[in-house]
Amino acid sequence: MSTDGGPHLLELRNVSKHFGGLYALSGLSMHVDRGEIVSVIGPNGAGKSTMFNVVTGLYEPDEGEILFQGQGIVGLPPNVITRLGIARTFQTVHLFPNMTVLENAMVGQHTRSRSGVFGAILRPPGTRREEERIRERAKECLEFFGSRLAGYRQEQPAFVLSYANRRRLEIARALSTDPTLVCLDEPTAGMNPRETLEMRDQIVRMRDELGLTVLVIEHDMRVVKGVSDRVVALDYGRKIAEGSYEEVANSPEVIEAYLGTKAVG
Amino acid sequence: MGPIPVRSVVRAGLVGGAVLAYLALVGLVERFAHLRLVGEPVTLGRILLVLPLFAAAFGVARPRVVAGERRVAGPRAGLVAGALTGATAAGGFAVAVILADRIDVARIRQVFIAVTPGLVEFVTFERGLVLGAAILVGLGLVAGALGGLARTGDRLVVGPAIAAVTTVIVMGLLQRIVPVAMIQLGFEPDFLYSPRTRSLTWGGATGLLVLAAGADALWRRSGPETRRRVRAAMVEQPAARAGILLIALAVLAVLPLLVGSVISQVLGSVMVFVLLGLGLNIVVGYAGLLDLGYIAFYAFGAYMMALLTGATLNTTTGSAAPAWSVDLNFYLAIWIVVILASGVGLMIGAPVLRLRGDYLAIVTLGLGEIVRVLAESRWLQPLVGGPQGMRGVTNAAIGSFGFRQPQRFYWLALAFVILALFVSWRLSSSRIGRAWNAMREDEQVADAMGISTTKYKLLAFAMGGAVGSLGGALFAVQIGSLTPASFQIIVSITALAVVILGGMGSIPGVVAGAAVLIGLPGLLREFEEFRLLIYGAVLVAIMILRPQGLIPSVRRMRELHEEEAEQDAWVKRFAGEAAAVAAGPGGALGVEDEDLT
Repeated sequence: MSTDGGPHLLELRNVSKHFGGLYALSGLSMHVDRGEIVSVIGPNGAGKSTMFNVVTGLYEPDEGEILFQGQGIVGLPPNVITRLGIARTFQTVHLFPNMTVLENAMVGQHTRSRSGVFGAILRPPGTRREEERIRERAKECLEFFGSRLAGYRQEQPAFVLSYANRRRLEIARALSTDPTLVCLDEPTAGMNPRETLEMRDQIVRMRDELGLTVLVIEHDMRVVKGVSDRVVALDYGRKIAEGSYEEVANSPEVIEAYLGTKAVG
Repeated sequence: MGPIPVRSVVRAGLVGGAVLAYLALVGLVERFAHLRLVGEPVTLGRILLVLPLFAAAFGVARPRVVAGERRVAGPRAGLVAGALTGATAAGGFAVAVILADRIDVARIRQVFIAVTPGLVEFVTFERGLVLGAAILVGLGLVAGALGGLARTGDRLVVGPAIAAVTTVIVMGLLQRIVPVAMIQLGFEPDFLYSPRTRSLTWGGATGLLVLAAGADALWRRSGPETRRRVRAAMVEQPAARAGILLIALAVLAVLPLLVGSVISQVLGSVMVFVLLGLGLNIVVGYAGLLDLGYIAFYAFGAYMMALLTGATLNTTTGSAAPAWSVDLNFYLAIWIVVILASGVGLMIGAPVLRLRGDYLAIVTLGLGEIVRVLAESRWLQPLVGGPQGMRGVTNAAIGSFGFRQPQRFYWLALAFVILALFVSWRLSSSRIGRAWNAMREDEQVADAMGISTTKYKLLAFAMGGAVGSLGGALFAVQIGSLTPASFQIIVSITALAVVILGGMGSIPGVVAGAAVLIGLPGLLREFEEFRLLIYGAVLVAIMILRPQGLIPSVRRMRELHEEEAEQDAWVKRFAGEAAAVAAGPGGALGVEDEDLT
């Protein structure tokens, strides 16, 4: 982690984004350092997903700068940002439902491969090897979830998967883009308690085993507590607290944001 | 009648009667009153008279869902309901015929010009109104009963029966094609087709009935197993695969020699539309970009081929040289056309990159029209001849062996179709195909996964344009002369219909779609006047009965039981591992106990 004041892996400087009169983000500054797991919390409508969307290029911020590995990424299209090393999942799962599970993961490798039209038509040995490599890498990413997405499931169309497996596949697809930073938008939403715990461990494994930096939006406080090196709390598009889980959880602003004004007594 | 409500019977009967009356009013029944299919009595007109009765009964006996419960009618209920439906339909029709006779046919004729006194006689079997109506109702009873039985009877009996009857009717319809092919093959066709009536002989028809029924029964028994074995052999043995491909190729290659030049002409047109369909399939089926202006590539390919091979302009005073042209060999020119067409694809793609769905369709529709208007325009008249067009397109000769003649053109087109099939197939199963697929499923997410949607949209237009221009270039060779009239919007619509009818994104589907939409109308020249009526009815029927297309693109074709067996094996294997994990410390079940709050 860059405690020495060097450049952060991801840095948002004074980022604002508004939709009409509504400020989804207003002057948000935050950063993520290499090798961290940072959780973003906040009540509904706090601007968490908007933050993901401006980071990954789906929206362009109205003001402010976003730096990734020291490079400004505002205005770049999403596919370029993905190639630079930021992968994401969506709050509402967005798979390619009619493609197989394996193909979904193989799509992730698109940006790490290069064969073009002539390669596709003539299929020289280089293209075959690349295709084989894409397949292997996609399988590896699916096997990050153990047996959940292994075996016969890889040949099934994605739409037959259970809800939890769809979330896992979406993460596997993100991992298969070989990212530096993974942005997970509510990875446990809709999962049962046991699946949630499994996901918690997997988020930690992403950092420890895969060496990834993780930025995660999460509502389940057990997960937030279990994974976070640092927690950032947002409300009304502003950062209202930052620090360890305990610090943020006990911050009066956070309690107010979630529960309203503190009751007297 | 148990599961079949009387209301449905009456309604289906009335609809059947109305359909029959319509067929008669537009002249379909009478037009084919004397087209003999088997012997002398079985004419297409009579079959058309019976078909709606049969179909109404077949429909009425379908399984119904009542209060969430699926009710399947038994054969007896099917028979009774079917007979009643058929009788109702025939009765309704008979009443209409009597009414028509009372009103006076001459007055109806002012609206429905195809109605003649001969029609009334034909549908009453030339026995007078009363007896004719009685015969009609009797016919309705029988045809309806059969229709009801066909739906509810034992599949192992009904299936072969339907197959047999269909085969006989189709073979009867092909009476101008099959005998020619048989003579070419050295068979004497007289035992099958009577030289006098041109229809099937009774002996031949009986033979066909038995043959088709037997083949269908055999297929029902061992078809799936055979198909599975063949598929397994195809996967395992490259030699078997190559063998089957070679046989298919050989059959395709000798086809024009068997069917004669009229049918070869039709086959050539089918090939041109296969090329168009394959190109459009890349744009619409693979990349999901609805392009209604595909005619642009077709016209570009055709005119470019003309200009590159030294065609001349048609003028009122004879022919004139175009403002610009070169006289290249076809086999060089075609590649230039393809390359330039992919450039046109980029040009058309670039301005519409940001548009999706309906908006894209409308804009491309306009672009397609622009191309036709340009071809007709005064401005481009010195180059492409305006409304009079051009003539003298190359016949793609190798030495003195030209390819204008229908059979030879078919071979030339077949070669390019095979090339386009190969390219389509390779593209679909590649990194590019995957990117297109992802983009079609969800453009925004594909972008977020690292796929440049700009690049892949342009690539789809370029590849689609290249393949489509092949169709245009070959069309120019086939016809030898070009006028803007050949590039009406209907060609775009037909190409799209080929893709959708066959099944979007499916390569065999494109071939099937072109065969049905271009081949059938060409084969059944007798139906020429009713072509559009039948065309529309067939399209509507297929889209209702099989909305996914004739041969849908199944991303992973697999026998169900195969998958199940694999699933079982997998479950067993991992059940063992899971048990081991659960037994260990902090195993799968231990997690629950962990305190996290």
